[in-house]
Amino acid sequence: MGIPPKILLVDDEEAITSNLSQILVRSGFEVIVAEDGEQGLRLVESQAPDLVVLDILMPRLNGRQMLRTLRRQGNWTPVILLTQVGDAPERTMALSEGADDYLNKPFDPYELIARIQAVLRRVQPGLPPLSSARRIGDDRLVLDRTSRRVRLDSVDLALTPKAVAILEYLMTHADELITRERLLNTVWGWDYPVGERVVDTRIAELRRALKDDPAAPRYIETIPGQGYRFVGKVKPLP
Amino acid sequence: MTTRRAIALVGAAAVISLWLTLTAGGSSAWEITLRVHPWWAAVLVALLVALGALAVRAIQRHFREQQYSIRLAREKGFAEHHRFLRRLDHELKNPLTAILVAVGNVRDECSPAGQDILTSIETQTQRLSRLVRDLRKLAELEYAPLEEVTFDIREALTEAIALTQERADEDRRRLTLDTPESPADALLVRGDPDLLLVAIHNLIDNALKFSRPDDRIELRALREGHSVVVQVRDTGRGISELDQPLVWEELYRGENTEGIPGSGIGLALVQLIVKRSRGEISLESAPGRGTTVTIRLPEATR
Repeated sequence: MGIPPKILLVDDEEAITSNLSQILVRSGFEVIVAEDGEQGLRLVESQAPDLVVLDILMPRLNGRQMLRTLRRQGNWTPVILLTQVGDAPERTMALSEGADDYLNKPFDPYELIARIQAVLRRVQPGLPPLSSARRIGDDRLVLDRTSRRVRLDSVDLALTPKAVAILEYLMTHADELITRERLLNTVWGWDYPVGERVVDTRIAELRRALKDDPAAPRYIETIPGQGYRFVGKVKPLP
Repeated sequence: MTTRRAIALVGAAAVISLWLTLTAGGSSAWEITLRVHPWWAAVLVALLVALGALAVRAIQRHFREQQYSIRLAREKGFAEHHRFLRRLDHELKNPLTAILVAVGNVRDECSPAGQDILTSIETQTQRLSRLVRDLRKLAELEYAPLEEVTFDIREALTEAIALTQERADEDRRRLTLDTPESPADALLVRGDPDLLLVAIHNLIDNALKFSRPDDRIELRALREGHSVVVQVRDTGRGISELDQPLVWEELYRGENTEGIPGSGIGLALVQLIVKRSRGEISLESAPGRGTTVTIRLPEATR
Protein backbone atom coordinates (compact mmCIF):
# COMPACT_ATOMS: atom_id res chain seq x y z
CA MET A 1 0.00 0.00 0.00
CA GLY A 2 1.40 3.36 -1.02
CA ILE A 3 0.40 6.71 0.39
CA PRO A 4 -3.39 7.14 0.05
CA PRO A 5 -4.33 9.78 -2.55
CA LYS A 6 -5.54 12.99 -0.92
CA ILE A 7 -8.97 14.17 -2.09
CA LEU A 8 -10.33 17.65 -1.44
CA LEU A 9 -14.15 17.74 -1.33
CA VAL A 10 -15.63 21.20 -1.92
CA ASP A 11 -19.38 21.43 -1.36
CA ASP A 12 -21.52 23.63 0.89
CA GLU A 13 -23.96 20.80 1.61
CA GLU A 14 -22.77 19.19 4.84
CA ALA A 15 -25.15 16.23 4.40
CA ILE A 16 -23.26 15.35 1.23
CA THR A 17 -19.67 15.97 2.34
CA SER A 18 -19.91 14.16 5.69
CA ASN A 19 -21.22 10.89 4.24
CA LEU A 20 -19.14 11.13 1.11
CA SER A 21 -15.88 11.62 3.00
CA GLN A 22 -16.58 8.52 5.12
CA ILE A 23 -17.16 6.44 1.98
CA LEU A 24 -14.01 7.81 0.36
CA VAL A 25 -11.93 7.11 3.47
CA ARG A 26 -13.18 3.52 3.52
CA SER A 27 -12.24 3.23 -0.16
CA GLY A 28 -8.64 4.10 0.66
CA PHE A 29 -8.47 7.88 0.21
CA GLU A 30 -7.45 10.61 2.55
CA VAL A 31 -10.14 13.32 2.59
CA ILE A 32 -10.22 17.02 3.41
CA VAL A 33 -13.36 19.16 3.13
CA ALA A 34 -14.02 22.80 2.20
CA GLU A 35 -17.38 24.58 2.36
CA ASP A 36 -16.87 27.03 -0.47
CA GLY A 37 -14.49 28.05 -3.21
CA GLU A 38 -12.48 30.46 -1.08
CA GLN A 39 -11.72 27.87 1.56
CA GLY A 40 -11.13 25.39 -1.29
CA LEU A 41 -8.42 27.58 -2.83
CA ARG A 42 -6.70 27.98 0.53
CA LEU A 43 -6.70 24.21 1.09
CA VAL A 44 -5.34 23.49 -2.40
CA GLU A 45 -2.45 25.76 -1.56
CA SER A 46 -1.72 24.50 1.95
CA GLN A 47 -2.57 20.81 1.54
CA ALA A 48 -1.71 20.11 -2.13
CA PRO A 49 -4.45 17.47 -2.69
CA ASP A 50 -4.08 14.90 -5.50
CA LEU A 51 -7.58 15.63 -6.78
CA VAL A 52 -10.45 18.05 -6.13
CA VAL A 53 -14.14 17.10 -6.21
CA LEU A 54 -15.83 20.43 -6.79
CA ASP A 55 -19.49 21.42 -6.57
CA ILE A 56 -20.56 24.26 -8.87
CA LEU A 57 -23.26 26.06 -6.92
CA MET A 58 -21.77 27.42 -3.73
CA PRO A 59 -21.90 30.68 -1.76
CA ARG A 60 -19.06 33.24 -1.95
CA LEU A 61 -16.72 31.72 -4.57
CA ASN A 62 -18.53 29.11 -6.68
CA GLY A 63 -16.96 26.03 -8.22
CA ARG A 64 -16.58 27.52 -11.65
CA GLN A 65 -14.77 30.59 -10.30
CA MET A 66 -12.54 28.44 -8.12
CA LEU A 67 -11.60 26.21 -11.06
CA ARG A 68 -10.83 29.24 -13.24
CA THR A 69 -8.66 30.79 -10.52
CA LEU A 70 -6.70 27.56 -10.09
CA ARG A 71 -6.03 27.17 -13.80
CA ARG A 72 -5.05 30.82 -14.16
CA GLN A 73 -2.46 30.27 -11.45
CA GLY A 74 -1.10 27.41 -13.56
CA ASN A 75 -2.30 24.87 -11.02
CA TRP A 76 -3.30 21.66 -12.83
CA THR A 77 -4.51 19.63 -9.84
CA PRO A 78 -7.10 17.28 -11.38
CA VAL A 79 -10.69 18.46 -10.84
CA ILE A 80 -13.97 16.56 -11.09
CA LEU A 81 -16.90 18.99 -11.24
CA LEU A 82 -20.26 18.13 -9.73
CA THR A 83 -22.68 19.74 -12.13
CA GLN A 84 -26.20 20.57 -11.15
CA VAL A 85 -28.05 21.45 -14.31
CA GLY A 86 -26.28 18.97 -16.54
CA ASP A 87 -27.40 20.63 -19.77
CA ALA A 88 -25.24 21.04 -22.85
CA PRO A 89 -23.86 24.54 -22.08
CA GLU A 90 -22.88 23.46 -18.57
CA ARG A 91 -21.20 20.31 -19.87
CA THR A 92 -19.18 22.27 -22.43
CA MET A 93 -18.26 24.87 -19.81
CA ALA A 94 -17.00 22.19 -17.41
CA LEU A 95 -14.43 20.95 -19.88
CA SER A 96 -13.48 24.28 -21.43
CA GLU A 97 -12.70 25.70 -17.99
CA GLY A 98 -10.18 22.92 -17.51
CA ALA A 99 -12.03 20.26 -15.50
CA ASP A 100 -10.79 16.70 -15.96
CA ASP A 101 -14.27 15.22 -15.76
CA TYR A 102 -17.70 16.00 -14.41
CA LEU A 103 -20.55 14.13 -12.82
CA ASN A 104 -24.20 15.18 -12.70
CA LYS A 105 -25.98 15.45 -9.40
CA PRO A 106 -27.60 13.29 -8.13
CA PHE A 107 -24.93 10.60 -8.52
CA ASP A 108 -24.13 7.20 -7.11
CA PRO A 109 -21.15 7.56 -4.71
CA TYR A 110 -19.48 4.49 -6.22
CA GLU A 111 -19.66 6.06 -9.64
CA LEU A 112 -17.74 9.03 -8.20
CA ILE A 113 -15.08 6.68 -6.80
CA ALA A 114 -14.70 5.03 -10.22
CA ARG A 115 -14.27 8.47 -11.82
CA ILE A 116 -11.71 9.57 -9.22
CA GLN A 117 -9.67 6.42 -9.83
CA ALA A 118 -9.87 6.85 -13.61
CA VAL A 119 -8.74 10.48 -13.48
CA LEU A 120 -5.88 9.68 -11.07
CA ARG A 121 -4.70 6.93 -13.43
CA ARG A 122 -4.93 9.20 -16.44
CA VAL A 123 -3.31 12.45 -15.29
CA GLN A 124 0.33 13.28 -15.56
CA PRO A 125 1.14 15.40 -12.52
CA GLY A 126 1.58 19.09 -13.23
CA LEU A 127 0.39 18.90 -16.84
CA PRO A 128 -2.90 20.17 -18.30
CA PRO A 129 -5.53 17.44 -18.74
CA LEU A 130 -6.25 16.04 -22.19
CA SER A 131 -9.66 17.65 -21.91
CA SER A 132 -8.11 21.10 -22.17
CA ALA A 133 -5.74 20.34 -25.08
CA ARG A 134 -6.79 21.70 -28.46
CA ARG A 135 -5.36 18.84 -30.54
CA ILE A 136 -5.04 15.29 -29.28
CA GLY A 137 -4.15 11.91 -30.74
CA ASP A 138 -1.12 9.99 -31.98
CA ASP A 139 0.97 10.03 -35.16
CA ARG A 140 -1.91 8.57 -37.23
CA LEU A 141 -5.19 9.71 -35.68
CA VAL A 142 -5.60 13.42 -34.88
CA LEU A 143 -8.63 15.12 -33.37
CA ASP A 144 -8.74 18.91 -33.59
CA ARG A 145 -11.26 19.83 -30.92
CA THR A 146 -11.69 23.45 -31.95
CA SER A 147 -12.38 22.88 -35.65
CA ARG A 148 -14.12 19.55 -34.90
CA ARG A 149 -11.99 17.81 -37.55
CA VAL A 150 -10.67 14.28 -37.44
CA ARG A 151 -7.73 13.15 -39.60
CA LEU A 152 -6.52 9.62 -40.11
CA ASP A 153 -3.16 9.23 -41.88
CA SER A 154 -3.42 12.91 -42.95
CA VAL A 155 -6.84 12.43 -44.56
CA ASP A 156 -9.90 14.31 -43.28
CA LEU A 157 -12.70 11.98 -42.21
CA ALA A 158 -16.33 12.78 -43.00
CA LEU A 159 -18.08 12.27 -39.67
CA THR A 160 -21.37 13.46 -38.23
CA PRO A 161 -21.07 15.93 -35.31
CA LYS A 162 -22.27 13.25 -32.90
CA ALA A 163 -19.62 10.79 -34.07
CA VAL A 164 -16.92 13.46 -33.51
CA ALA A 165 -18.31 14.15 -30.03
CA ILE A 166 -18.22 10.44 -29.16
CA LEU A 167 -14.66 10.10 -30.40
CA GLU A 168 -13.69 13.19 -28.38
CA TYR A 169 -15.17 11.78 -25.19
CA LEU A 170 -13.60 8.35 -25.72
CA MET A 171 -10.19 9.85 -26.52
CA THR A 172 -10.17 12.26 -23.58
CA HIS A 173 -11.10 9.29 -21.36
CA ALA A 174 -8.72 6.80 -22.96
CA ASP A 175 -8.32 3.43 -21.22
CA GLU A 176 -11.51 4.02 -19.25
CA LEU A 177 -14.61 1.85 -19.63
CA ILE A 178 -17.36 4.16 -20.87
CA THR A 179 -20.91 2.84 -20.61
CA ARG A 180 -23.46 3.57 -23.31
CA GLU A 181 -25.52 5.41 -20.72
CA ARG A 182 -22.62 7.73 -19.99
CA LEU A 183 -22.04 8.40 -23.70
CA LEU A 184 -25.73 9.15 -24.15
CA ASN A 185 -25.85 11.60 -21.26
CA THR A 186 -22.68 13.32 -22.39
CA VAL A 187 -23.09 13.46 -26.15
CA TRP A 188 -26.86 13.31 -26.67
CA GLY A 189 -27.91 14.86 -23.38
CA TRP A 190 -30.57 12.18 -22.84
CA ASP A 191 -30.76 8.45 -22.20
CA TYR A 192 -34.17 7.30 -23.32
CA PRO A 193 -34.79 3.57 -23.86
CA VAL A 194 -33.68 3.50 -27.53
CA GLY A 195 -30.28 4.76 -26.44
CA GLU A 196 -28.19 1.61 -26.68
CA ARG A 197 -29.06 1.07 -30.31
CA VAL A 198 -28.47 4.71 -31.15
CA VAL A 199 -24.99 4.59 -29.58
CA ASP A 200 -24.09 1.36 -31.35
CA THR A 201 -25.09 2.83 -34.73
CA ARG A 202 -22.71 5.78 -34.25
CA ILE A 203 -19.88 3.58 -32.98
CA ALA A 204 -20.28 1.50 -36.14
CA GLU A 205 -20.04 4.73 -38.19
CA LEU A 206 -16.84 5.68 -36.34
CA ARG A 207 -15.30 2.26 -36.81
CA ARG A 208 -16.00 2.30 -40.54
CA ALA A 209 -14.35 5.72 -40.85
CA LEU A 210 -11.38 4.71 -38.69
CA LYS A 211 -11.07 1.38 -40.54
CA ASP A 212 -11.12 -0.23 -37.10
CA ASP A 213 -11.84 -3.95 -36.89
CA PRO A 214 -14.08 -4.66 -33.85
CA ALA A 215 -12.51 -8.13 -33.55
CA ALA A 216 -8.99 -6.67 -33.35
CA PRO A 217 -9.50 -3.01 -32.43
CA ARG A 218 -6.74 -0.47 -32.78
CA TYR A 219 -8.95 2.31 -31.35
CA ILE A 220 -12.38 1.35 -30.04
CA GLU A 221 -12.81 -1.82 -28.06
CA THR A 222 -16.23 -3.26 -27.15
CA ILE A 223 -16.61 -4.46 -23.58
CA PRO A 224 -19.51 -6.94 -23.96
CA GLY A 225 -22.58 -6.02 -21.95
CA GLN A 226 -20.91 -2.89 -20.58
CA GLY A 227 -19.74 -0.34 -23.11
CA TYR A 228 -16.66 0.84 -24.95
CA ARG A 229 -13.06 1.67 -24.25
CA PHE A 230 -10.58 3.71 -26.30
CA VAL A 231 -7.44 1.60 -26.54
CA GLY A 232 -5.29 3.82 -28.81
CA LYS A 233 -2.56 6.09 -27.45
CA VAL A 234 -3.69 9.65 -26.81
CA LYS A 235 -1.45 12.61 -26.05
CA PRO A 236 -1.76 16.36 -26.40
CA LEU A 237 -0.42 17.52 -29.78
CA PRO A 238 1.11 20.90 -30.67
CA MET B 1 -52.48 54.60 -32.48
CA THR B 2 -55.56 56.85 -32.06
CA THR B 3 -54.59 58.89 -35.14
CA ARG B 4 -54.29 55.69 -37.12
CA ARG B 5 -57.69 54.57 -35.87
CA ALA B 6 -59.19 57.92 -36.88
CA ILE B 7 -57.65 57.70 -40.35
CA ALA B 8 -58.88 54.13 -40.61
CA LEU B 9 -62.41 55.18 -39.62
CA VAL B 10 -62.50 58.08 -42.07
CA GLY B 11 -61.06 55.80 -44.74
CA ALA B 12 -63.62 53.11 -44.08
CA ALA B 13 -66.42 55.71 -44.14
CA ALA B 14 -65.14 57.10 -47.44
CA VAL B 15 -64.95 53.65 -49.01
CA ILE B 16 -68.45 52.83 -47.84
CA SER B 17 -69.86 56.12 -49.14
CA LEU B 18 -68.16 55.61 -52.51
CA TRP B 19 -69.59 52.11 -52.68
CA LEU B 20 -73.05 53.46 -51.80
CA THR B 21 -72.68 56.10 -54.54
CA LEU B 22 -71.84 53.43 -57.06
CA THR B 23 -74.45 50.86 -56.09
CA ALA B 24 -77.35 53.01 -54.96
CA GLY B 25 -76.81 55.68 -57.61
CA GLY B 26 -80.12 54.76 -59.31
CA SER B 27 -82.47 55.49 -56.44
CA SER B 28 -83.28 59.17 -56.09
CA ALA B 29 -82.91 59.31 -52.29
CA TRP B 30 -79.22 58.34 -52.43
CA GLU B 31 -78.24 60.18 -55.57
CA ILE B 32 -75.10 62.27 -55.18
CA THR B 33 -74.02 64.34 -58.11
CA LEU B 34 -70.50 65.69 -58.33
CA ARG B 35 -70.00 68.66 -60.63
CA VAL B 36 -66.23 68.98 -60.68
CA HIS B 37 -63.47 69.00 -63.22
CA PRO B 38 -62.45 65.35 -64.22
CA TRP B 39 -58.99 66.05 -62.71
CA TRP B 40 -60.52 66.73 -59.36
CA ALA B 41 -62.68 63.62 -59.67
CA ALA B 42 -59.52 61.59 -60.32
CA VAL B 43 -57.84 63.13 -57.27
CA LEU B 44 -60.89 62.37 -55.14
CA VAL B 45 -61.03 58.75 -56.30
CA ALA B 46 -57.30 58.34 -55.67
CA LEU B 47 -57.75 59.81 -52.20
CA LEU B 48 -60.63 57.44 -51.45
CA VAL B 49 -58.62 54.43 -52.67
CA ALA B 50 -55.63 55.50 -50.55
CA LEU B 51 -57.84 55.90 -47.48
CA GLY B 52 -59.36 52.48 -48.16
CA ALA B 53 -55.90 50.89 -48.36
CA LEU B 54 -54.95 52.57 -45.09
CA ALA B 55 -58.09 51.22 -43.48
CA VAL B 56 -57.35 47.68 -44.61
CA ARG B 57 -53.78 47.96 -43.34
CA ALA B 58 -54.91 49.29 -39.98
CA ILE B 59 -57.33 46.41 -39.60
CA GLN B 60 -54.61 43.90 -40.54
CA ARG B 61 -52.23 45.50 -38.11
CA HIS B 62 -54.82 45.31 -35.37
CA PHE B 63 -55.22 41.56 -35.91
CA ARG B 64 -51.49 41.02 -36.08
CA GLU B 65 -51.00 42.86 -32.81
CA GLN B 66 -53.72 40.84 -31.18
CA GLN B 67 -52.11 37.58 -32.31
CA TYR B 68 -48.70 38.80 -31.23
CA SER B 69 -49.94 39.54 -27.72
CA ILE B 70 -51.54 36.09 -27.54
CA ARG B 71 -48.25 34.53 -28.61
CA LEU B 72 -46.35 36.68 -26.16
CA ALA B 73 -48.60 35.58 -23.33
CA ARG B 74 -48.15 31.95 -24.32
CA GLU B 75 -44.36 32.30 -24.51
CA LYS B 76 -44.36 34.03 -21.15
CA GLY B 77 -46.32 31.07 -19.80
CA PHE B 78 -43.72 28.66 -21.22
CA ALA B 79 -40.87 30.73 -19.79
CA GLU B 80 -42.43 30.77 -16.34
CA HIS B 81 -43.08 27.07 -16.53
CA HIS B 82 -39.42 26.44 -17.36
CA ARG B 83 -38.16 28.74 -14.65
CA PHE B 84 -40.23 26.71 -12.24
CA LEU B 85 -38.80 23.44 -13.57
CA ARG B 86 -35.27 24.79 -13.23
CA ARG B 87 -35.87 25.85 -9.64
CA LEU B 88 -37.44 22.52 -8.80
CA ASP B 89 -34.46 20.84 -10.39
CA HIS B 90 -31.97 22.79 -8.26
CA GLU B 91 -33.86 22.32 -5.05
CA LEU B 92 -34.32 18.58 -5.51
CA LYS B 93 -30.87 17.57 -6.70
CA ASN B 94 -28.88 18.28 -3.54
CA PRO B 95 -31.22 16.39 -1.17
CA LEU B 96 -31.35 13.47 -3.63
CA THR B 97 -27.55 13.37 -3.80
CA ALA B 98 -27.39 13.51 0.01
CA ILE B 99 -29.78 10.55 0.32
CA LEU B 100 -27.87 8.44 -2.22
CA VAL B 101 -24.55 9.19 -0.53
CA ALA B 102 -25.96 8.47 2.94
CA VAL B 103 -27.39 5.13 1.79
CA GLY B 104 -24.02 4.26 0.26
CA ASN B 105 -22.31 5.19 3.50
CA VAL B 106 -24.47 3.10 5.83
CA ARG B 107 -24.37 -0.02 3.61
CA ASP B 108 -21.18 -1.45 5.10
CA GLU B 109 -22.53 -1.31 8.64
CA CYS B 110 -25.94 -2.76 7.96
CA SER B 111 -27.37 -6.20 8.76
CA PRO B 112 -28.64 -8.40 5.89
CA ALA B 113 -32.24 -7.44 6.71
CA GLY B 114 -31.25 -3.80 6.65
CA GLN B 115 -29.65 -4.26 3.22
CA ASP B 116 -33.05 -4.97 1.66
CA ILE B 117 -34.48 -1.82 3.18
CA LEU B 118 -31.51 0.18 1.92
CA THR B 119 -31.96 -1.26 -1.55
CA SER B 120 -35.57 -0.18 -1.57
CA ILE B 121 -34.64 3.35 -0.41
CA GLU B 122 -31.98 3.46 -3.09
CA THR B 123 -34.34 2.23 -5.82
CA GLN B 124 -36.96 4.83 -4.97
CA THR B 125 -34.37 7.61 -4.75
CA GLN B 126 -33.00 6.63 -8.14
CA ARG B 127 -36.53 6.63 -9.53
CA LEU B 128 -37.08 10.11 -8.21
CA SER B 129 -33.70 11.21 -9.57
CA ARG B 130 -34.64 9.83 -12.95
CA LEU B 131 -37.91 11.76 -12.92
CA VAL B 132 -36.16 15.01 -12.00
CA ARG B 133 -33.62 14.42 -14.75
CA ASP B 134 -36.30 13.63 -17.32
CA LEU B 135 -38.24 16.78 -16.49
CA ARG B 136 -35.06 18.79 -16.83
CA LYS B 137 -34.24 17.20 -20.19
CA LEU B 138 -37.72 17.96 -21.39
CA ALA B 139 -37.28 21.63 -20.50
CA GLU B 140 -33.86 21.65 -22.17
CA LEU B 141 -35.20 20.07 -25.35
CA GLU B 142 -37.46 23.08 -25.79
CA TYR B 143 -34.52 25.30 -26.78
CA ALA B 144 -31.42 23.11 -27.21
CA PRO B 145 -29.89 23.15 -30.71
CA LEU B 146 -30.70 19.86 -32.44
CA GLU B 147 -28.91 17.89 -35.10
CA GLU B 148 -30.68 18.42 -38.44
CA VAL B 149 -30.26 15.92 -41.24
CA THR B 150 -32.44 14.79 -44.11
CA PHE B 151 -33.32 11.14 -43.75
CA ASP B 152 -35.88 8.52 -44.72
CA ILE B 153 -38.41 8.12 -41.91
CA ARG B 154 -38.77 4.46 -42.93
CA GLU B 155 -35.36 3.83 -41.37
CA ALA B 156 -36.62 5.09 -38.01
CA LEU B 157 -39.75 2.95 -38.32
CA THR B 158 -37.75 -0.19 -39.09
CA GLU B 159 -35.45 0.55 -36.16
CA ALA B 160 -38.40 1.12 -33.85
CA ILE B 161 -39.95 -2.20 -34.91
CA ALA B 162 -36.64 -4.01 -34.39
CA LEU B 163 -36.45 -2.56 -30.89
CA THR B 164 -39.98 -3.64 -29.90
CA GLN B 165 -40.74 -6.81 -31.90
CA GLU B 166 -39.39 -9.21 -29.30
CA ARG B 167 -41.46 -7.70 -26.53
CA ALA B 168 -44.56 -7.64 -28.75
CA ASP B 169 -44.10 -11.36 -29.48
CA GLU B 170 -43.64 -12.16 -25.82
CA ASP B 171 -46.74 -10.19 -24.85
CA ARG B 172 -48.72 -11.61 -27.82
CA ARG B 173 -49.35 -8.30 -29.55
CA ARG B 174 -49.53 -8.37 -33.34
CA LEU B 175 -47.10 -5.65 -34.41
CA THR B 176 -47.11 -4.77 -38.12
CA LEU B 177 -45.28 -2.26 -40.30
CA ASP B 178 -46.81 -0.76 -43.42
CA THR B 179 -44.65 1.58 -45.53
CA PRO B 180 -44.15 2.05 -49.28
CA GLU B 181 -41.56 -0.56 -50.19
CA SER B 182 -39.71 0.67 -53.24
CA PRO B 183 -36.54 2.70 -52.67
CA ALA B 184 -38.02 5.38 -54.95
CA ASP B 185 -40.75 5.99 -52.39
CA ALA B 186 -38.39 7.52 -49.88
CA LEU B 187 -40.27 9.42 -47.17
CA LEU B 188 -37.77 12.16 -46.54
CA VAL B 189 -38.01 14.37 -43.50
CA ARG B 190 -35.63 16.82 -41.84
CA GLY B 191 -34.73 16.59 -38.18
CA ASP B 192 -32.81 14.67 -35.55
CA PRO B 193 -33.11 10.97 -36.49
CA ASP B 194 -32.30 9.77 -32.99
CA LEU B 195 -34.99 11.92 -31.39
CA LEU B 196 -37.62 10.96 -33.96
CA LEU B 197 -36.76 7.34 -33.24
CA VAL B 198 -37.32 8.10 -29.55
CA ALA B 199 -40.75 9.57 -30.42
CA ILE B 200 -41.89 6.62 -32.55
CA HIS B 201 -40.50 4.10 -30.07
CA ASN B 202 -42.40 5.85 -27.29
CA LEU B 203 -45.68 5.61 -29.19
CA ILE B 204 -45.21 1.87 -29.85
CA ASP B 205 -44.24 1.43 -26.21
CA ASN B 206 -47.50 3.10 -25.14
CA ALA B 207 -49.49 0.94 -27.56
CA LEU B 208 -47.84 -2.18 -26.09
CA LYS B 209 -48.57 -1.03 -22.55
CA PHE B 210 -52.19 -0.09 -23.10
CA SER B 211 -53.29 -3.15 -25.05
CA ARG B 212 -54.12 -6.80 -24.29
CA PRO B 213 -52.90 -10.09 -25.77
CA ASP B 214 -54.01 -10.55 -29.40
CA ASP B 215 -54.50 -6.80 -29.89
CA ARG B 216 -53.09 -5.32 -33.07
CA ILE B 217 -50.53 -2.51 -33.26
CA GLU B 218 -50.03 -1.04 -36.72
CA LEU B 219 -47.21 1.29 -37.63
CA ARG B 220 -47.73 3.10 -40.93
CA ALA B 221 -46.00 5.79 -42.93
CA LEU B 222 -47.12 7.45 -46.13
CA ARG B 223 -46.89 10.63 -48.15
CA GLU B 224 -49.85 13.00 -48.11
CA GLY B 225 -49.46 16.15 -50.18
CA HIS B 226 -46.27 17.81 -48.96
CA SER B 227 -46.32 15.93 -45.68
CA VAL B 228 -44.98 12.66 -44.42
CA VAL B 229 -47.50 10.99 -42.15
CA VAL B 230 -46.57 8.45 -39.47
CA GLN B 231 -49.33 6.64 -37.68
CA VAL B 232 -49.34 4.32 -34.69
CA ARG B 233 -52.70 2.60 -34.34
CA ASP B 234 -53.66 0.08 -31.69
CA THR B 235 -56.76 -1.88 -30.76
CA GLY B 236 -56.03 -1.45 -27.07
CA ARG B 237 -57.97 -0.01 -24.17
CA GLY B 238 -58.20 3.54 -25.51
CA ILE B 239 -58.27 6.86 -23.67
CA SER B 240 -61.37 8.46 -22.18
CA GLU B 241 -62.63 11.61 -23.85
CA LEU B 242 -61.91 13.61 -20.68
CA ASP B 243 -58.28 12.52 -20.65
CA GLN B 244 -57.60 13.00 -24.35
CA PRO B 245 -56.71 16.71 -24.32
CA LEU B 246 -54.59 16.29 -21.18
CA VAL B 247 -52.36 13.35 -22.12
CA TRP B 248 -49.76 15.70 -23.63
CA GLU B 249 -49.02 17.38 -20.30
CA GLU B 250 -45.98 16.45 -18.24
CA LEU B 251 -46.72 14.10 -15.33
CA TYR B 252 -50.34 13.67 -16.38
CA ARG B 253 -51.55 10.09 -16.13
CA GLY B 254 -55.03 9.19 -17.31
CA GLU B 255 -57.68 7.48 -15.21
CA ASN B 256 -57.18 4.05 -16.80
CA THR B 257 -53.39 3.91 -16.42
CA GLU B 258 -53.43 2.38 -12.95
CA GLY B 259 -51.16 -0.60 -12.53
CA ILE B 260 -49.20 0.28 -15.67
CA PRO B 261 -45.70 1.62 -15.08
CA GLY B 262 -44.87 5.01 -16.52
CA SER B 263 -43.75 8.45 -15.49
CA GLY B 264 -46.19 10.55 -17.45
CA ILE B 265 -43.33 12.06 -19.45
CA GLY B 266 -43.65 10.02 -22.64
CA LEU B 267 -46.30 11.86 -24.61
CA ALA B 268 -45.08 15.30 -23.53
CA LEU B 269 -41.69 14.29 -24.90
CA VAL B 270 -43.15 12.92 -28.14
CA GLN B 271 -45.12 16.12 -28.70
CA LEU B 272 -42.05 18.27 -28.08
CA ILE B 273 -39.90 16.23 -30.48
CA VAL B 274 -42.56 16.54 -33.19
CA LYS B 275 -42.89 20.27 -32.55
CA ARG B 276 -39.11 20.74 -32.78
CA SER B 277 -39.21 18.86 -36.10
CA ARG B 278 -41.79 21.42 -37.34
CA GLY B 279 -44.49 18.78 -37.35
CA GLU B 280 -47.91 18.28 -35.85
CA ILE B 281 -49.29 15.50 -33.72
CA SER B 282 -52.88 14.46 -33.04
CA LEU B 283 -54.66 11.67 -31.28
CA GLU B 284 -57.94 9.88 -31.81
CA SER B 285 -59.21 7.38 -29.33
CA ALA B 286 -62.28 5.44 -28.33
CA PRO B 287 -62.34 3.74 -24.92
CA GLY B 288 -62.29 -0.01 -25.32
CA ARG B 289 -61.59 0.19 -29.04
CA GLY B 290 -58.13 1.67 -29.35
CA THR B 291 -56.01 4.72 -30.06
CA THR B 292 -54.47 6.21 -33.19
CA VAL B 293 -51.68 8.77 -32.95
CA THR B 294 -50.82 10.65 -36.13
CA ILE B 295 -47.59 12.58 -36.70
CA ARG B 296 -47.42 14.88 -39.70
CA LEU B 297 -43.97 16.13 -40.74
CA PRO B 298 -43.08 18.47 -43.60
CA GLU B 299 -41.65 16.48 -46.51
CA ALA B 300 -37.98 17.26 -47.23
CA THR B 301 -35.99 17.05 -50.45
CA ARG B 302 -32.45 15.79 -50.88
